[in-house]
This record gives sequence, C-alpha cells and structure tokens, in this order.
Amino acid sequence: MLSGHDSDHDEVHTVNEFPRDALILGGNRIPFARAGGAYAGISEQDLLTAALEGLVARFGLQDEQLGEIAGGAVLKLAGDLNLTRESALGTPLDPRTPTIDLSRACATSLETMVHVSNRIQLGQIDSGIACGVDSASDAPIEVTPALRRILHRASAAKTAAQRLRALAAIRPSHLAPLPPRNSEPRTGLSMGEHQALTTAQWGIGRAEQDELALASHHRLAAAYEAGFFDDLVTGYRGLARDATLRPDTTLEKLGALKPVFGAGTPQVAEPTMTAGNSTPLSDGASSVLLGSEEWAAGKGLVPLARVVDARSTAVDFTRGDEGLLMAPVHAVPELLDAQGLTLQDLDLYEIHEAFAATVLTTLAAWESEEFCRERLGRGGAMGAIDRTKLNVTGSSLAAGHPFAATGGRIVATLAKLLHQRAAETGRVQRGLISVCAASGQGTAVLLESVSS
Amino acid sequence: MSAVHRGERVKDLADVPSFPAVYAAALDPRSRRRAAEPPVLPAIAYRVRAVRIDAERARDFDHLLGGAATDIVHPGVLHVLAFPVSLALMARRDVPFSLLGLVHLRNQVLQHRPVRVGERVDVECRMRELRPHRRGHTVEVVSTIHAADGEIVATDVSTYLATGEQSSRNPSGDGAGSAAVGAAAGPGATGPGGSAGSPRSAGREAFVPPRPSGRWRLAADTGRRYAAVSGDANPIHLTALSARAFGFPRAIAHGMYTASRALTESRVDLSRPLRWDVTFDAPVTLPGTVLVSYQDDPSTGSVRCVGWRAATEEKGPRRCFEVEVTMLAR
Repeated sequence: MLSGHDSDHDEVHTVNEFPRDALILGGNRIPFARAGGAYAGISEQDLLTAALEGLVARFGLQDEQLGEIAGGAVLKLAGDLNLTRESALGTPLDPRTPTIDLSRACATSLETMVHVSNRIQLGQIDSGIACGVDSASDAPIEVTPALRRILHRASAAKTAAQRLRALAAIRPSHLAPLPPRNSEPRTGLSMGEHQALTTAQWGIGRAEQDELALASHHRLAAAYEAGFFDDLVTGYRGLARDATLRPDTTLEKLGALKPVFGAGTPQVAEPTMTAGNSTPLSDGASSVLLGSEEWAAGKGLVPLARVVDARSTAVDFTRGDEGLLMAPVHAVPELLDAQGLTLQDLDLYEIHEAFAATVLTTLAAWESEEFCRERLGRGGAMGAIDRTKLNVTGSSLAAGHPFAATGGRIVATLAKLLHQRAAETGRVQRGLISVCAASGQGTAVLLESVSS
Repeated sequence: MSAVHRGERVKDLADVPSFPAVYAAALDPRSRRRAAEPPVLPAIAYRVRAVRIDAERARDFDHLLGGAATDIVHPGVLHVLAFPVSLALMARRDVPFSLLGLVHLRNQVLQHRPVRVGERVDVECRMRELRPHRRGHTVEVVSTIHAADGEIVATDVSTYLATGEQSSRNPSGDGAGSAAVGAAAGPGATGPGGSAGSPRSAGREAFVPPRPSGRWRLAADTGRRYAAVSGDANPIHLTALSARAFGFPRAIAHGMYTASRALTESRVDLSRPLRWDVTFDAPVTLPGTVLVSYQDDPSTGSVRCVGWRAATEEKGPRRCFEVEVTMLAR
C-alpha cells in the first residue's frame, strides 16, 4: 500500500490490492423524523421502500437488475426477516435483484456499504445498493419468553386436552408486552448513561457539547439552504427536511436544557448531557448506489468517491474501563495505519454524533498522549484535527439518528462533499467516517474523491 | 464413596428433601432444642445418591441469571442442589442452633472439574467449625458433590451465623421477630437495618464504591423467580407480605442469586477448575437497584465483583456483596 500523505498529496491516490475500485455514485434518503412524528404508523418496509424508490428514480434504475442490495434495521420485527428483499420488490427495480439483510447496530448501513463495496472490489458484482432503515415509532414489541414457550408448547400439542393444559400455564405476569430494552444487556446501563460515565472520565464540559450541537444544527441548516441535499434527500409524508433540525437554535436555548444522562450517578459529578446535545429517537431510511467504473460509465453516471478501506473494532465495555462508544477510537488508527496515513492527512471527517460528547471524547482520546500510548499501543498522541473539517454539513444531532439509516446518510453526504471539493481544489480529497455502535463496536471507513 | 470422618455416621436420604417440609419442620415449636453447654455438632453426614442434574433446571438457572444455557452446569446449581440436604441436616434436633435466624455470611465453591448437564452426582453434607461469635455462633456447612466414581468434583462451604439461641449470653440479639427461616437470606436476615456481624461490617462506614460498570434493576418478583429455579422458597424472598411475617419490611433477594449472577457476568471459563468466593453484607431489598463493578485480573483469569446500594440522601452507600472467581491450575 502506497501512502499519499507527502508532497504528492494532490497527485497520488491511495492504492489498495483489490482487483478494482468500488465507486460511490450517489445516494438518496428520506428526511429523518422524530419518533412518534411524521412517520408514526409507517412501517420500516414503507420507509425503506420510499428511500429505494427515490434512488431508483434519481438514477434511472427502473427495471435494472443490480448485483445486490444490502440493507438492515436495528429494531427489526421478527417477521421482517427479508426486510430488504420485501422493500426492493416494492420498487421498479428488476425483481431478480438479490438482497441481503445485515446488522451491526448503529453502524449497520456503514457495514452494508462495506459489504457491497467488497463484492464490487472482488469482481463478484458490478453494481449494488447499500441501505438501512429504522423506526423507533414502530419498534417491535415482544411477548415474554415464558408466554412464548407456552404458546410453542400449545401449538406443538397433539390433542385439545394437551393444548388446554399448556395454555393453562399462562399467568397474568406472562402477558406484559416487552418493548425493546433501551439498556445494554450486559450492564443494565443505557447508552446515554454509559456515555455520561465516559464523558465524566474525560472531563468533557457542557459548553463544548452545546457548541458542537449548535454547529451541527447551523451547518445542516446552511447545507439545506444551499441546496446541498437537493440530490440526496427526497421528501416523504409531508417532511421535506429532517424534523430534528432547529436552524434557529442558540447556545442560550441549548444551555437552558436540563441534563438527562448521568444525573443521579455519583461518578458523574456534573451531568452535562441533555436532550439538546444527544440524538433523539428517530425514524428514517437511507440508501447509497455503488458500482464498478465500467458499470458507472455504461450508465453515464459520474462517480463521486471510491471506497478505499474499512476497519471494525470492539471494546470490552462491561468492566467500565473502556467506554461503550469508544470502539471507533481503535478502528480509525488501524484503518489509517493500513493506508499509511496520519489523522491529519484527511480533508474531511465525519464522526457520528451519537452524542456531542461521543465526538468530543473520541477527539480527546486521539489527542491524549497517555491513551494513545497505553490503549492504542502507539508512540504518542495521534493529535488534534482541524475542527473546521469535521461534520461540515452537520450530523446526527441535527439530522436525527434512525440507527441503521445513519451510515448511509453519512456515506452519501461525504462522497458528495469529497467530489465537490476535489473539483474546487483540483486535488484528491480524503474523508474519514467513524461510527460507534451499541455493544461496544465501531466501524471506520476511508473514502477518496474520484477525478473524472 | 465418602470422605472418611472419624466417628461419623452417614445417613442416606432417599431423595433430596423438599424445602416446604424442611421449613415446616423448622417452624414446628417442638423443634426447639435444649442449649447444650458447650454446644457440639452431631457427628453425622447426610447423603443423597445419584441425583440427576436436570437439564431444564440448569437451563432455567442459566437464563434467569442472564447467561446462555450451556452443557456445563452453573456452579450455583450445585449449591442449590445441596442446599435442601444441608437444611435437613441443620434441622436435626441434636443440632445446637435453630434454623430460625440463620444468616448466610460467606460461601465458597471449589470446583475441580465442570459438571455436565444430565450427570448423576452424589451429594454429601456435614457441619464443622462451630465457633462462638459475638452474636451467637458461626458454623460451616460443607457439601461435597461426587461423581459416579466417588471422586469429589466440587465442594461448597457455606458459613452461617446462628443467632438467638445463645441469647442468654448474647442479649443483644434482634429478637424472634427478626429471625429468618432458612439460610440463604444474606446477612440482612438479622433484621431491618441489622448488622450482619460479619468481619467486614465494622468497616462499612468506610465503604467507598468504585466506578459502577453495571446496574441491576431487580423487579419485585426476583425472589419468586429465583425460588422457581432454585427451589428455595423461603418466604422472606417471595413477597413483601411474607417477608413482613418474618420481620422484614420488604422481600430480600436470595444471596446466592446475587452471587450466581455475578459469576455469570464475570464470564470466566467454567470448564476450568475454579474457586468462587462470596461475602455477603447488606441485604438487597426487592424491588431494588444494585450497582456492580467488575475487575479482571488478566494475568490469572480471575474476576472480582462488588455490588452495592447507591447512597441516598439519608444513607451512604452500602456494600451488599463481594464475589471473587479465581481460576485454578488444573
């Protein structure tokens, strides 16, 4: 692998050993809604179908047989086992396009993108769609394990008497519905409480979190105003923009909100995480179109960026010495090392704003000599980044965060940004994506602009 | 084949005794015994042969504690397997203390090799080390689990504090109202706000909780659910009402539930020889919330867990239990 972070930066592309490139050709998503908002009563299949239909329309893919569509949802109904297939069948795509459902919590559609990219790079397919969807409004509600087992016994019964006997075991306590748990199964702490502990450990203050949230809203609003999302977002169900977006929010408004996470935890002396600097539960879907160079040329599509490389890592957060959302802190240096790049060699950074504090603890860890030496096994700190290159069109705090749709949102956004900036500067642009996921996982992806 | 103890008689029971029968016997006023001076333990062991470790029970135990159902039996299952045998032994009229008011102070399981689901084992229980304590006596109940060939595969040592019977010399006892039937209550069984009198309780004021790595939200039915898989239907664990009948304002979690859950969450390799040490402090009331913290020792594969009740406006934090799982050389 050749490094391009020297003086040849503007000439040399990073090189990988894959037979060919996977190119990002564009994306489409629907505006993200707040849970219980515009998409209440709408299913995940509805949302994903809408996102895919918009992509098909935008790129003229009617009756097109693609190599594969990879999708997924985090909060997914058991009956939606082929959610992506069922959604794709509802679009004008050729019904002979195969699909696959994948999941890695909040990194799901970053992983579906890596999956499609890998297939293209290996020559197994020429084109594909990566997508993801989540609806917190229509999250699955299950029956208790005890009731489930009783019902299975009853349905396996051979006689009416056996069935009655099985059903007679039902107790009132078995009938309580089970919504998806909002805590990590192995710690009993919610994601916000985990981050609150990490935030306190790193001494991240309230003001810098609110400033990051403010920047997210202002930048997303500015990008909408500038028409940046005109070819990335298709309105749906009366929503034209993300419902969480507050273009007119101020530091005063954000500062007036009461901390919600970490309050009541003795280890968090001063709780700082509010509804304003944390992402809300959201509904939405996103999709990204990828293809080989030949396929794109055959369709007359202009490639925006190529997928250079990706890494995923996990941390053991159950003992408390690693933060739940700190896995990307490990994935990014692995990815950069593999490509011979430093953190400062990148032109744009997309760090998923699960919480403002997640971004800030991630950056603090990379700036920490001690952390980089002891936890990352490096010679010293990875250093600070130029904050003006971070989440330049806003991120999840302003857009909302339908778990499995976030990766696709970021990929399409960054690919377009890299393409634009390469055209403006005449230089190759590199962008990093870092997404944390529940259960202590994280994925990092490196994209690079493609010059026409 | 049992371990040979000088002058000891081994009584074979036809089956593992049922808890209700043992509890009923313990409540029978005729079971009140004369206080011998000095008190001595009867030289007798109770044994049950060829007890099959039920696959469904092992599965339910694993599931209740948040673990995956594996073919290796959770060491907590071995404890609850032997527990009724040990209760029947302690309920004997020639035992110089009453089951009423027994407090579980400590527990240690030494597991030489894993026990497989469906395996048949012999269970032997005997008492030893009766020692004076400022609030009564402590006694160790030793349960050995033997494989079909007689080899000891696990040893479970439960240390109990017997309160009340020596009340003539220990007038500071909590009185009959706070007595608990049975033994798995944890030191809280000394009564509302009572101190266990464990060696650690003296340092209770100094308890500074570590950073929590997890939280257990224990529902009101936690005791009932553990009773269903363990068979230990001690009323102090079941409902607030039944607990009040024995002097507790609320139901309290089984000590071995907290200990077994900590073992599951420690994620140690159960196929290796191990030692599982538990010390109980304040009782865990139900419904209730316990904060836990785990500490790994990667060099030995051992794990320590401490569980506590968070501080409230009135009270400081209270340590409820400490669990240590130590991996041993094969």
